[in-house]
Amino acid sequence: MAVTDTTETTARKPRAPWLTLRRREAIEGWLFVSPTLIGFLIFFLGPLIAVVFYSLTEWNLLSQKSTYVGLANYTDALRDNPDFWHVIRNSVIFAAGLVPLNMALALGLAVALCRPGKGVVFFRTVFFAPVITSAVAWAIVWKFLLQGEAGAVNQMLAGIGIDGPNWLREPNWAMFAVIVTRVIKMVGLNMILYIAALQAVPRDYEEAARLEGANSWQIFRMVTWPLLAPTTLIIMVITTIGSFKVFDHIYLMTGGGPENGTLVLAYYIYEQAFEFFNIGYAAALAIIMFVIVLALTVVQLLLRQKGSS
Amino acid sequence: MSSLTLRNLTKSFGKTDVIRGVSLDVEEGEFVVFVGPSGCGKSTLLRMIAGLEDVSGGDLMIGGQRMNDVQAAKRGVAMVFQSYALYPHLTVRQNMGFGLKVRKVPAADIARQVDEAAAVLKLDALLDRYPRELSGGQRQRVAIGRAIVASPEVFLFDEPLSNLDAELRVHMRAEIAALHRRLGNTMVYVTHDQIEAMTLADRIVVLRDGRVEQVGTPRELYESPANTFVAQFIGSPKMNLVDGGAVADRLSALGRPVPEGALVGLRPEHLQLVPADQAILGGRLVTSEYTGADTLLHVELADGEVLLMVHQGSDAPEPGADLSIGIDPALAHIFEQDVAAKNAA
Ligand SMILES: Nc1ncnc2c1ncn2[C@@H]1O[C@H](COP(=O)(O)OP(=O)(O)OP(=O)(O)O)[C@@H](O)[C@H]1O
Ligand SMILES: [Mg+2]
Repeated sequence: MAVTDTTETTARKPRAPWLTLRRREAIEGWLFVSPTLIGFLIFFLGPLIAVVFYSLTEWNLLSQKSTYVGLANYTDALRDNPDFWHVIRNSVIFAAGLVPLNMALALGLAVALCRPGKGVVFFRTVFFAPVITSAVAWAIVWKFLLQGEAGAVNQMLAGIGIDGPNWLREPNWAMFAVIVTRVIKMVGLNMILYIAALQAVPRDYEEAARLEGANSWQIFRMVTWPLLAPTTLIIMVITTIGSFKVFDHIYLMTGGGPENGTLVLAYYIYEQAFEFFNIGYAAALAIIMFVIVLALTVVQLLLRQKGSS
Repeated sequence: MSSLTLRNLTKSFGKTDVIRGVSLDVEEGEFVVFVGPSGCGKSTLLRMIAGLEDVSGGDLMIGGQRMNDVQAAKRGVAMVFQSYALYPHLTVRQNMGFGLKVRKVPAADIARQVDEAAAVLKLDALLDRYPRELSGGQRQRVAIGRAIVASPEVFLFDEPLSNLDAELRVHMRAEIAALHRRLGNTMVYVTHDQIEAMTLADRIVVLRDGRVEQVGTPRELYESPANTFVAQFIGSPKMNLVDGGAVADRLSALGRPVPEGALVGLRPEHLQLVPADQAILGGRLVTSEYTGADTLLHVELADGEVLLMVHQGSDAPEPGADLSIGIDPALAHIFEQDVAAKNAA
């Protein structure tokens, strides 16, 4: 009878299945992230550990012989080899020149181009196009334009009575030239970020400020600029990190010269590893660069936390 | 001298005319409310007064001076935005003092004026907080406080209460009314909430499609609406409109002659259930909505139109019942001009 059936089934305690909803979701979750996780392990963590390992050896690629040397490569870089500090100095100069110039220009362009108007889309495209242009093409064109007397830049300067330097052949001018040409190439990216941030500022703030008697400069300084702070911080950090990692541009424009005047950290690592085959030393340099970039990232995160609390 | 005068004011965005000739005189100290359906141009008109939109045509006078081409900041107006527009990176004190700071008023004077305004609005304890640390009602008060510190000739409000919940809205409505009594400034207030309009206004301006439909005290608009649009816009639930022919005989007999082709407006709250021989209309009850104090009856008339009536008391008839409906003839509204308008709607 149906009645007894029911009592029997309720009397038997149903066993909880192993695959609970919680477990099931956990398994699915791991499955979903596994491709990225495996990629991360193989292509990031693996090489990173390998590089740490290499940095503790003296390994010449030609002789195929590697010997454990402890921290010798690090002391070499940080204490004994004057090239290292020269390179760090160059990297700092590059960053210190590029970051403010890039950000100021990006902000200026963004303010000019954030509102719809005649030609706005055209100019946004013009300033963004270099970002997606091949670095090689960009460098070749600029090398051509920046040639000594025959270069278009110097021809134009001559037109207004200025005797331009041989841009890429004099150390200080070469640094200046790689900074400026890099800024022109990359400024469009930060411009877009700033345009997005400016468009997210509600119109009401500006109108309220205008009604209260603020002029355009006061509105910018006292209302818009503070509201852009989170964006400014992010842009500053990613641009700084990017400028510490710059390689292709230097490689193509100056090859680190003249007189090592544009020899920056990433290029120095390349040179040590693949031109002089000092793999161990280059690995130590790579770790030092990793630490610098990591430190910048941590500073960014801390600043952001402080900013949002 | 009137405090604010609009003379045939117009505004177009490109080819679209948004304000099509608005004229209005606002007396010193008057509380004027703009109402109208969404998109009728209330905000645009207010922003034109503020100087946030330029004037396409006509004259705009504030305090007797033509202001068409005067900068927003120099018009002597302050505006309270629907979004409050409080600067998120500044404290309440800095928000309220912003206008004085940009005008280079000495810090001590700013502090004194901010403290005064804060006292009026009971914001003293909140002065060092940031806007995100305030409730909606408190933000609203800060926004008003910022306007007070600007000590304008005219206060402008654009739907200031629409982001608040119903209860707070009633409370802030009373506070704004009290503020107006206390400060005595001219205030222009935009809302689409007709209860807000009725309770706050000295005079209401009903707008439609960029034109003024009627200007008058709340009582004037309720008791003698100039046309069916105003009649249906003011009052809730909205006024019933029936063809004059359906009620002409009975109303004429009761002393209210209905001209040929006119519409008759009957407010739901004026209709009553009456014995059949006193009825002006009859119909069948289709739905009744009990709201506690009274019941809203939906009555289907012979021609299929549905009439709303408010029935007081708990003895509402059951759906399906045949009802006889009457009205005090003095309370019926007769509109001769609007038949075409009704048919078009
Ligand atoms: N900057 C603009 N450009 C073009 N058209 C506009 C602009 N601002 C408003 N309009 C148009 O003007 C008309 C009136 O707008 P307005 O904002 O004044 O309406 P409103 O009465 O305040 O409506 P709501 O009750 O929805 O706030 C609308 O049809 C709107 O589309
Ligand atoms: Mg509006």
